[in-house]
Amino acid sequence: MKQFIKNIVLFGVFASLFYVLFISITEKHNPNNMYKKQAGHMHTRLSEIPKYPKIDILFIGSSHAYRGFDVRIFNRNNISCFNLGSSGQTPIQSLYLLEKYLDDIECEKIVFEVSPQAFSSDGIESISDIISNEKTDWKLVKMGIDSENLKVFNTLIYANLRRFLKLDTNFSEEKTIGKDTYISGGFVERQKQSFKPSVSTSYEIKQPQLAAFEKVVDIIKGVGIELVLVQAPVTLAEYALYKSNEKFDALMSTYSDYYNFNELISLTDSVHFYDSHHLNQSGVEVFNEAFIELITN
Amino acid sequence: MSLILFSTIVDYCVGLGLKNESHSVSKRKLLLWISISVNIGLLGFFKYYNFFIDQFTTAFTLFGTSFEGSSINIILPVGISFYTFQTMSYTIDAYRKKIEPTTNLLAFSAFVSFFPQLVAGPIERASSLLPQFIKKKQFDYTTAVDGMRQILWGLFKKMIIADNCAEIANTIFNSPADHSASTLVLGAVFFAFQIYGDFSGYSDIAIGTARLFGFNLMKNFSFPYFSRDIAEFWRRWHISLSSWFRDYVYIPLGGSKASKTKQIRNVFIVFIVSGFWHGANWTFIIWGALNALFFLPLLLFKKNRTHLDTVAQGKFFPTFRELIAMASTFLLSTMTWIFFRAESIYHAKEYFQYMFDWSLFSAPNTLSKSQLKITALLLMFFLLIEWLGRENEYAIERIDRLNKIQRWSFYAFLLALIGSCMPTSQNPFIYFQF
Repeated sequence: MKQFIKNIVLFGVFASLFYVLFISITEKHNPNNMYKKQAGHMHTRLSEIPKYPKIDILFIGSSHAYRGFDVRIFNRNNISCFNLGSSGQTPIQSLYLLEKYLDDIECEKIVFEVSPQAFSSDGIESISDIISNEKTDWKLVKMGIDSENLKVFNTLIYANLRRFLKLDTNFSEEKTIGKDTYISGGFVERQKQSFKPSVSTSYEIKQPQLAAFEKVVDIIKGVGIELVLVQAPVTLAEYALYKSNEKFDALMSTYSDYYNFNELISLTDSVHFYDSHHLNQSGVEVFNEAFIELITN
Repeated sequence: MSLILFSTIVDYCVGLGLKNESHSVSKRKLLLWISISVNIGLLGFFKYYNFFIDQFTTAFTLFGTSFEGSSINIILPVGISFYTFQTMSYTIDAYRKKIEPTTNLLAFSAFVSFFPQLVAGPIERASSLLPQFIKKKQFDYTTAVDGMRQILWGLFKKMIIADNCAEIANTIFNSPADHSASTLVLGAVFFAFQIYGDFSGYSDIAIGTARLFGFNLMKNFSFPYFSRDIAEFWRRWHISLSSWFRDYVYIPLGGSKASKTKQIRNVFIVFIVSGFWHGANWTFIIWGALNALFFLPLLLFKKNRTHLDTVAQGKFFPTFRELIAMASTFLLSTMTWIFFRAESIYHAKEYFQYMFDWSLFSAPNTLSKSQLKITALLLMFFLLIEWLGRENEYAIERIDRLNKIQRWSFYAFLLALIGSCMPTSQNPFIYFQF
């Protein structure tokens, strides 16, 4: 029995080292390793935070936020802002980012982009995105463990191995990646292109997401910052597929000022979107002007 | 829980009754029928009640009258199909005086509810498992390591082979109309590997776990996809159930010693009942009947026991004839799996209908190329290991011939593959529903 336990422990060590080596070698072809340095320009966005110590509006939320709120349009209207949205960001990651960066950014208003998808998502895409671009701290590790997802564990192991081996020390992100161009202040621009409507889907609010959302609301209100909740517009076809829109609107309205832009502005699927739920630059113009008018009047 | 307790107490008491030498033959028969009625009754009610109500309602409607039976919401107790068959084998063997009924209630209860094989088998025989609960256990290093190895191989089969194939097979089976005929063929092939990886993987985990505790369970799968005909396939697939039906249904009905007509009847009864055992759905009955149909010519031409050995024994490559035989047996079983996987007869009919059109000769479509590539590579690796280990109890049993570094590297490689390629969506074991 003693020999058996001893060998189990030794094999555990051996297999762990082998595992780390294996996921490192197979990085690009490994379906369970989501390490990606260049997704949604998160690396550049995080490195820009010190440049924006005092602003009027801080945006948080998913790609609807960083692709939907163009900092240039706000600047044009004499509103300074920074966009901390990220790929697939859900309330759990918004909470992590706010807890980490709210002390570094002084702002009057926080616009939190909310949607039924974000509340029903497991947030795996976003956690992996943050892990790939952010220095590891205990809260990040805890968020990874709480996800109970193998892809996140693998990404966490691999990202930290890279950091340990200093493989990313000289990394600099391209401003234009594929069709996306990063605009200083956190916005990512994409020009008009055609898309194929997706077939969707009903969304069910996950309890941990709602709990994280409530914490975010408490934190923001606790420090006396004005909170605005916004549901960014998606295509009419996509919005028609969401069930319980009214229920979601009613729920959000109980927390703070809430605007559902699917109900407030009129956009055309083929003109203002580049896919079923992301605005192209002409859509962003219409959306942002309408939003600025709403908050300044 | 109360059901398994009830079943255990009834069969324990029946066993005690059968142990009593003074009982007349008719009293012994009565005891046996009590056991069979209780077990079949429980199984019938919990598994088949709603099915029969539906069938009666449909039948009465066809004849223009109405039948006032209403379905009820029944939750199928976990493992009921397995432990009822296991306890029945105990009372039948005791009745036949093949085993000495036990007076040890604790050992008997452990025999009925032994945790590794409770929910999905192997369906054990009392003659083999019961004495193991009475015998004193001592830790054995080699047995424990062997158990761990078999668990690892079972995990690989389930988490890598079955679950990856499930991702593709589910997409295709969920909407046959959206896929080309060649894609549907691919879907059936992936399901064939899914069901094998899923169920034989579970069996390996169960057998390995039992070995860790010093118990030997029977082999449940013996590389069935390397069979050269359907008869061999059924000697190698779900062995504990096939042998149960052979010993307690087929042979008592006269087996292959009866007249030709009776032989045909017996084969159909066994396969159809075996199909129905899987679930209360006509798809399982048709699946069983099709297997009987494929088995029958072999029996009638006395070819059903041609392949009792392992294919290409002692050689690396099979002959061309063996290769063709294996491929055609795999194809036949894969066709029958379509009924097993389909949710209804209509679903199966639709699947077959779309599978046989001109797009059969086009390249498979609408699947993620990278997912397909990775799954195909994993399947090739799996088949190679299974082929190399086909003469053993399980594929990687004889890896102990390698040195420690080679062995550990192989185990670590399997674990790394599991961590890297296992789908993150949850896929419960298919046989848990039975």
